[in-house]
Amino acid sequence: MSDSPDGQEGAPPLEIEVEGLRKTFGRREVLKGLSFSLERGGFLSIFGPNGAGKTTTLRVLATLLTAGGGTVRVAGHDVRDDPMPVRRTVGLISHNPMLYLDLTAQENLRFYGDMYGVDDREARITELLERLELSHRRHDVVRTYSKGMRQRLAIARAILHRPRVLLLDEPHSGLDPRAVDILDGLLTEIRDEHTFVMVTHNIAKGLEWGTRLMIVEDGRIVYERAAGVDPESFSAVYREHVQEGSVL
Amino acid sequence: MAILRKDLIRELRTREMIISMILFVLLAMVIFHYAFSVKEDADLTYFTGGMLWVTFIFAMLLGLNRSFAQEKDERCLDGLLLCPVDRVTIFLAKTAGNLVFLLIIQVVAVPVFTLFFVSRSYVGDLVPFLIVMLLADVGICALGTLLATISMNTRSRDLLLPIIFLPLIVPVLIAATGATTLIFAEGAGFGDLLARVLFLLGFDAVFLVAAYGTYDFAIGE
Amino acid sequence: MKQLVSAPVLFVGAGIFLVTGLLLAFLYAPIDASTMGYSQKIFFYHAPIAETALVAFGVAFVAAILYLRSQDPRWDRLGVVSVRLGLVFSLLVMATGMIWGKAAWGTWWDWEPRLTTFLLVCFLYVAYFVLRSVVEEEQRRATFAAVFSIIAFIDVPITFFATRFLPAGMHPTVITMGGTGMPGSMFVSFFISMIGMTLLLVALIRRDLAVEELKDRVADLKNSIGG
Repeated sequence: MSDSPDGQEGAPPLEIEVEGLRKTFGRREVLKGLSFSLERGGFLSIFGPNGAGKTTTLRVLATLLTAGGGTVRVAGHDVRDDPMPVRRTVGLISHNPMLYLDLTAQENLRFYGDMYGVDDREARITELLERLELSHRRHDVVRTYSKGMRQRLAIARAILHRPRVLLLDEPHSGLDPRAVDILDGLLTEIRDEHTFVMVTHNIAKGLEWGTRLMIVEDGRIVYERAAGVDPESFSAVYREHVQEGSVL
Repeated sequence: MAILRKDLIRELRTREMIISMILFVLLAMVIFHYAFSVKEDADLTYFTGGMLWVTFIFAMLLGLNRSFAQEKDERCLDGLLLCPVDRVTIFLAKTAGNLVFLLIIQVVAVPVFTLFFVSRSYVGDLVPFLIVMLLADVGICALGTLLATISMNTRSRDLLLPIIFLPLIVPVLIAATGATTLIFAEGAGFGDLLARVLFLLGFDAVFLVAAYGTYDFAIGE
Repeated sequence: MKQLVSAPVLFVGAGIFLVTGLLLAFLYAPIDASTMGYSQKIFFYHAPIAETALVAFGVAFVAAILYLRSQDPRWDRLGVVSVRLGLVFSLLVMATGMIWGKAAWGTWWDWEPRLTTFLLVCFLYVAYFVLRSVVEEEQRRATFAAVFSIIAFIDVPITFFATRFLPAGMHPTVITMGGTGMPGSMFVSFFISMIGMTLLLVALIRRDLAVEELKDRVADLKNSIGG
């Protein structure tokens, strides 16, 4: 978990290395050879139209899907040959909270804590619930939670085991403004400790957070560069690639 | 272990499952009674084994569908698959959970069915019966868990499960029903049951190994 | 799969063996002396068909294991083709068995171990196709079908064994531990029919495989046109 302090000199090590990633669903080739990498502590924002393969890429990184071709390494471990350390390294926040509705917040977190073998389970749960302003509801069944609260709990679930890499799949979608604020506040708080990959339709958020920007279209990377682009020109590029117009 | 505990907490919390299953068992008993009451004072002793195992298998179908429906509903299965645990561990935990579920049904069903249908006392033969029951249960749960994992990943989910599960479970049904009938009706001892007990043991072993080898694929990418 | 023998040669070979077997069955093998009489002749087709059906499911079983190891769609194709043919042969087993049963025992159906097993086999492999039909994504469909094919094939002998626990039936036990219990002339006819039937299976598998491959290519082409 703790980053070595002497990694200051030179470029930080690569946390994510993707080389020629391919994936087919039946006859449809969803990913047609993606290659990219991300250094430790980086924040990669992936944009693109629906069905471009963004979520598929994320699911391969999370070991939920096996790649059809190419190599994918997370924290130096091959996701296919050596998935266990990858799973310990990665946390996934998607629009599905992945919580058991009939369990309380505490029971959900205890369960995942056991699954990940978190040593200081109780302390960690208390700390996270505190941080996510859910302490007062920790003994309530998740079914009674609002969408925003579930999403917050989902974040707690995802970072419970102190993953070094956080994968975000459209984390802002479906959240009310208040929940977006909380999410952003939390991201700010944990920004320094993690490497991020975020799939999003939200250009403003993607540009705000990203240190690297990428547009995926039809299974290929059509645009990739370091952040620092001015939003106007990026929006233009984005529109060029995403014709649906259903932006934001 | 954590998975099993989580599933148990969930079941105990909602209670709907247990209650409806107990009702299901009692209703099955009543329905069997009417279905087989063909003449006055008919002795159903020889049919009790069959009735019990048919009830268990159909109740199991319902339980299996449920045990995975909830994982699928809120995408919890993804959460489970994200965890650094072997898929086989997930299989064992789910099998154990389903076994607990089946045992609860049996605790209710066996006394009730035998009280109403079996004419001779079988209390002395309880030990061989429990052994047969447990061995058959393990086979049913192992195979059922594997197949339920496949069926919940398909379009038709709960409709598919009986079609793939029932033909495969027939051997267990034959052996368990035969053994149960021998015990209830004739008070058979271990000697008479040996072939069936060994058969059930073999079935459990074969399908636990088969499930061990294929579960990674069954649970999907 | 290299074309060592062309499909027509296999079909012709199968035909020669099957016709020879049939002729031998009627002209060479003795008429069953015990109870069956002339109706016993159907045995020379019934048993080889049964054996061939099991071979087909065995091929599917091996193909399933190879598929899970390699994820190569060709093994999935072999699996589908074998199961389909195995199912056709199983239905023929049931049909010939019922005809024989009617002639020999005076009843179309008897719950005896082998017939019962084949009935379950039919259900099992029909279920295989039901399973395939409810999974859209091809890789996943192939994977699930392979897992099921493995489990089903393991279950067949177990089911057969379990049916022995049922009250006894009246199927003749022809091949026992001690030997075949057949006169030599009967055995020759039987054996030739068996070779013929197996050749027929191989020929059919190859033809069906070719058809499936064409179908896949058509689908690929359609896909590339459709974009």
